[in-house]
Amino acid sequence: QQKNVSGTVRDQGDGQPIPGVSVRVSGSQTGTSTNADGTYTISVQAGASLVFSSVGYVTQTRQVGSGTTLNVELASDSKELSEVVVTALGITRKKNELAYAAQEVRAEDITRTRDNNLVNSLGGKVAGLDIRRNNTMGGSTNVVIRGFKSISGNNQALFVIDGVPVSNANINTANQQTGRAGFDYGNAAADINPDDVESMNVLKGAAATALYGSRAANGVIIITTKKGRKGSTNFSVNSGLTWGNIDKTTFPEYQKEYGAGYGTPATDGAGNPVPVPGFWYRDIFGNGKELITQFTSDASYGPRFNPSLLVYQWGSLDPSSPTYKQKTPWVAAANGPDKFYETALVSNQSIAIDGGGENTTYKVGYTRNDENGVLPNSKITKNLFNFGASREMAKNLRVEASANYSRIEGLGRYGTGYANLNPNQNFRQWYQTNVDMLELKDAFFRNRRNITWNWSDATGTRPIYADNPYFTRYKNLVTDSRNHFFGNITATYKFAEWLDVLGRVTYDGTGDLQEERIAVGSYAVSSYARTNRNASETNYDLLLNFKHDFSEVFTFRGLLGANLRRDNVNSIRAQTNGGLVAPDLYSLLNSVSPIEAPVEIYQRRAVDGHFASATFGYRNMLVLDATIRRDVSSTLPTTNNEFWYPSVAAGFTFSELMKQQTWLSYGKLRVNYAQVGNDAPPLSVYDVYTKPTSFDVLPLFSVSNTKNNPALRPERTRSLEAGVEASFFKSRLGFDVTLYRTLSIDQITPVSVSSATGYTARYVNAGEVENKGIELSLYGTPVKTQNFSWNINLNFTSNRNIVLKLDPDAGGNIELAALQGGVTLNAAEGQPYGVIRGTDFVYLNGQPVVLPTGYYKVTTQSNHIIGDPNPDFMAGLQNGLKYKNIALNFLIDMRQGGDLFSLDQWYGNGTGLYPGTAGLNDLGNPLRNTLANGGGIILPGVKEDGTPNNIRVDASTSAITPFGYSQNPPRAMRIYDASYIKLREVSLSYALPARLVEKIRPFKGVEASLIGRNLWIIHKNVPYADPEDALSSGNLSGYQSGSYPAVRTIGFNLRFKL
Amino acid sequence: CAKDKSDYNIDIKNPQVATAPPLFTAAAKSFSDIITSPSVNNNPFRFYAQYWTSTEYLDEPRYNLLARPIPQAFWQALYRDVLMDLREARKLITADQFMAAPTKASQLAQTEIMEVMAWSTLVNTYGNIPYSEALDVTKTQPKYDDAATIYADLLTRLDAALTTLNSGATGYGAADVFYNGDIAKWRKFGNSLKLRLGLILADKDPAKAKTLIEAAAPNVMTSAADNLTFRYMKTTPNNNPIANATNPGLTTRKDYVGAKPFIDKLNSLQDPRRAGFFTTVGGNFVGGYYGFSNSYSNFSTLNPKIAAYDFEALLLDYTEVEFALAEAAARGFTVPGTAETHYNNAITSSILYWGGTTAQAATYLARPDVAWSSASANYREKIGLQKWIALYNRGYDAWVEWKRLDYPVLAPPSPATAPPGETISPGLVIPVRLIYPINEQTLNTANRAAAASAIGGDLITSKIFWDVN
Repeated sequence: QQKNVSGTVRDQGDGQPIPGVSVRVSGSQTGTSTNADGTYTISVQAGASLVFSSVGYVTQTRQVGSGTTLNVELASDSKELSEVVVTALGITRKKNELAYAAQEVRAEDITRTRDNNLVNSLGGKVAGLDIRRNNTMGGSTNVVIRGFKSISGNNQALFVIDGVPVSNANINTANQQTGRAGFDYGNAAADINPDDVESMNVLKGAAATALYGSRAANGVIIITTKKGRKGSTNFSVNSGLTWGNIDKTTFPEYQKEYGAGYGTPATDGAGNPVPVPGFWYRDIFGNGKELITQFTSDASYGPRFNPSLLVYQWGSLDPSSPTYKQKTPWVAAANGPDKFYETALVSNQSIAIDGGGENTTYKVGYTRNDENGVLPNSKITKNLFNFGASREMAKNLRVEASANYSRIEGLGRYGTGYANLNPNQNFRQWYQTNVDMLELKDAFFRNRRNITWNWSDATGTRPIYADNPYFTRYKNLVTDSRNHFFGNITATYKFAEWLDVLGRVTYDGTGDLQEERIAVGSYAVSSYARTNRNASETNYDLLLNFKHDFSEVFTFRGLLGANLRRDNVNSIRAQTNGGLVAPDLYSLLNSVSPIEAPVEIYQRRAVDGHFASATFGYRNMLVLDATIRRDVSSTLPTTNNEFWYPSVAAGFTFSELMKQQTWLSYGKLRVNYAQVGNDAPPLSVYDVYTKPTSFDVLPLFSVSNTKNNPALRPERTRSLEAGVEASFFKSRLGFDVTLYRTLSIDQITPVSVSSATGYTARYVNAGEVENKGIELSLYGTPVKTQNFSWNINLNFTSNRNIVLKLDPDAGGNIELAALQGGVTLNAAEGQPYGVIRGTDFVYLNGQPVVLPTGYYKVTTQSNHIIGDPNPDFMAGLQNGLKYKNIALNFLIDMRQGGDLFSLDQWYGNGTGLYPGTAGLNDLGNPLRNTLANGGGIILPGVKEDGTPNNIRVDASTSAITPFGYSQNPPRAMRIYDASYIKLREVSLSYALPARLVEKIRPFKGVEASLIGRNLWIIHKNVPYADPEDALSSGNLSGYQSGSYPAVRTIGFNLRFKL
Repeated sequence: CAKDKSDYNIDIKNPQVATAPPLFTAAAKSFSDIITSPSVNNNPFRFYAQYWTSTEYLDEPRYNLLARPIPQAFWQALYRDVLMDLREARKLITADQFMAAPTKASQLAQTEIMEVMAWSTLVNTYGNIPYSEALDVTKTQPKYDDAATIYADLLTRLDAALTTLNSGATGYGAADVFYNGDIAKWRKFGNSLKLRLGLILADKDPAKAKTLIEAAAPNVMTSAADNLTFRYMKTTPNNNPIANATNPGLTTRKDYVGAKPFIDKLNSLQDPRRAGFFTTVGGNFVGGYYGFSNSYSNFSTLNPKIAAYDFEALLLDYTEVEFALAEAAARGFTVPGTAETHYNNAITSSILYWGGTTAQAATYLARPDVAWSSASANYREKIGLQKWIALYNRGYDAWVEWKRLDYPVLAPPSPATAPPGETISPGLVIPVRLIYPINEQTLNTANRAAAASAIGGDLITSKIFWDVN
């Protein structure tokens, strides 16, 4: 007798209806799920049983009685005991069985504020995770777990999506990463459709990742995508739009008193006096000598503004300008460089369908993301497709497959670093405060020519140092595209209740094309360069899973497996030589001189791994986990390429012994030890020669600059970790605290050597780096009533990094990068990784010493440690407030400590851009007056005899100013504390109440949100810049040059479920 | 499986085997590049000789060696890019069992002469340097050797190479970018180098200098056809590095103008080479204030032909040889010819090289402030001045000669040399030495420290052993 049964499923605790509960007829595949208001209807045989299950609740089975209504209340599960998480190699474990630190982030926490870059969304949400981003459109984000371990190797976490290791490689050039010219092409892990993510699990320590062997040292971020569910069809549409504007607290303010020039010479150099010092005095239009702006000077140390003074300015040389051959008032620009920035607009549209029948499930998703950046003529378009399906092919045989395809197209990515392609190099370092941005804009758009404020001479035909920034954006265009495919096919066969076997093939492949252009008429030599890069990784996995419960109390899980990994990088970069022949033809054949041989790179890596693990459990209380992996890597010398990586972990759920203590919901102690590794970079074993371009018909060969090493061993990281997690009062309050220490030894690194050896570097196994730290997660629900709840989640990380030992020949220091401005980043013995070296102040009694000249005394050597980019601690505080259908979430993200060297301040103060370089001195006179005229300033500090400094130093020209680069003040003067506190994310969302949703069927749910990102920098110490803005992903940090301002984003998002 | 994938670690895109000739050519180019480059990153010597000064950026004309790692770049270019490739070439030649003996002898001798030239450049710049333990990656912290000892060894090696140069073979043949396998010219070049090194030693060890110079003098370059020139090409990257910094086809920057001390002197001498050296401003040759900001358009800048892509680099020339012979004669060494003849030959050769005529040269030589008989009683002063002018555009060699002869008298930027209305803190001195690279401080600490104390401190004022005045 078939009949319809209906009812409502509610939460036992607060009585709220629960949507999405699976309602299944016991012993069959028939089922449904509850609607948004928690109701369901199902047709069943009388006497049948219904199984109600939902994540986070204890599954309940109820027999259908005589009635047609069956209301159910589900008890919330103690999630720590039963929640299933995905661990290394895709193995699922109950959280209770984990004996190492792993922190889960749920989809809603990632997608809430709709950041294009999934990786950015992790910031502040996981203890131990250091997310370093930059402010360029589509720029790369660096993800480091528990500190930098490898001196020159990769330190970024491994991303694994549904079992597929997915590249997050940095494909930016070495120049770009060291703050010279380049573009940031982003990180491929950002190509994932955030709407397809179900959850992310961050495996932090080596014990958690040991099964990945030689690639496990940096931690793993496991991403699980959404899956279709049997017997249901879901359809959801998401539509969002955000606007972004630069945060002006992260952009320069300018002094408004003085304009173009490096100084105010009283004569024209040939000895002839100039009526107004600081201008040129020449006849450029055949009508007699007139005052002319020093427009070749990319500085603002020139004459004082005076509205009644008329001078020829840069626009006077442009025949199409309204001010052609006209003099204009000498005033500060009405429109500064901030006007160059536009409103960013991001549209995000996605659609997802999932569902399933009796034996199959499927999902299909598509996201389109259109981003217009804050710079003119910048755009990134992302098309992300994902597909996944599973089918029970036969009894006990299950096949799953997924395929993801992303196409990323970039137009006008931002130029970065110390380069004319980065407009901030001018705006922050070399600029004239008299230049009006809107006039520059008009000047470019009149004829789309390079009409610049920085002419090379009075004929006004070419720029000397700086292009018109609009010309840069519209003509010196970079475009790029990436095709990214990843997916897997997995078959699982269940031989018996205690044994199943899994076979899996995964593939991740990217194909990048980058085209960089310098137009004819630019400051730089015109050129066209293209890079084609293909990279792929294929993995073949075979896993045997054993499961045996010796008794009710004693359980066993076992694993035997093998993994074959094959990587391939194949790239070619070619560029024109000596300029372009025809303007606007961007083709290699348009080269003035014959092109040089393109740079070809072909790198392969093969790693074969065999591994085993065993997990013993006792009464849900004790768990002992041991793993072993053996890797053979092709990147190491063949005689010495086999290595073993063991781990052992133990967990003790002490709350099982304290069940009578009702205040304690859950408590576990865990301790573990593991050894993991890092193999060598490909091609670092055998020597090759370099072959420069032939000299006419004569070939050239040269000995390589780096000496390779046929005796390399893999890097190893030993990790010891202990932690406690506990929750109280029905899980209303909980914490998870972990202490860890990792020691990375046998670092494979190209160590600098005295170039008197004939080489500048050689590969060695050298160095030990220690990271130790504490991670703390605290969560609580201070308020929970029928209508209102408040959740708090705090993550705190403090990591201490120290380079314990280096190769004896390294002289106690490995230079990681030498940077513009005379500072270096280093791994130095006894110091944290990445310390900044340069000249320092000379101190007396803690005060900087000032010389009799009035300038700071500077150390004679430039290898003083003047900064440490590593933060003291990082914290993220998430708050979720919910009243009925309205939810407010916000995230405060902070970073305390860590230094950076600002090349922007180093140069910009030397060229007189910033307010501190003008104004009045202690005497009440303009400080830019000469000393004779009462100008100059007294630098804070003491004289060499220890008395307070009272010597006034001249600051009247760029060449002698004590503020910036020209007199070589200590580099330490431009080191800043990069701490910040940011209101990172805010969202206010409203879900349509169930009773309203019912009226607008077929919708199952409608949610509208207002969202904001990076709304407020609550605290920072770096002037006129975003302390967080980095050069690129990668190992280098603590340096800003041409930094991009932060972008405040607001917008809305609509989500429909059908 | 991966165990058998040893080929994965072979770089199939770069050569694993090489022969000596391309290494030699590469070393020759690298040597010419570093000596000729005007880049503020690696070669500040046109500033130090006060031929040029900069328009805006004053670190380098004001002798700052820390703002950019110049000592590192110069050192690295010579060790890594020149000497290492020569050493590798020598290794390959020696190991080649099938090469004809005369060719082998000549190639080894050519390699050796180039090595001597590069090593002596290092000594003349830094003083004590790693030598006996250098170019060996198994000795990652090479000790520094005494500069005088190195010099002695270099002269021994040079003599040995001169005897093994085999006229019966073309040596490197076409790969010899200097003389295209003309061994006779190599012999002249080798002897001219010996003459140069002999003179450098002359104040320190006159007896040895006399021996060296008298042996070399009959065999040196006899015309401009013998010059050691590197002939750059019209296409990048094989163009003259001067073009990279000054040619409008490669840069819009306008960083250099002629320096006032040099141009003022040319003007006072009505030097016929001015037009070859510089452009004019309003018909005049006007030099910028050395070490101060100078507006580009107000001053003479380099003649565009110097900025040409294929402008040749002179590394050792007939003019220089004639000046050397003049000085040797003035010092009383027995060399063919008189001091005056050589002096006149040198100046004439230089004027012709820079586009002048023999008539102009004759007029010039007749000036009382030029003529050997009347210019100065002090041969150091008159040769110093004229050699300075003749070595224009060869900043490095001019700097070495200035250190050695102590003429012309050059003044560092100071309040006295400042343009009207500007000033500078006093105390700058012109370097007579580059400091050791920063890298040596960190990577070769103990040896560098020992060397520093041995030479009287790692300072720009510590004199090279031969610089006795």
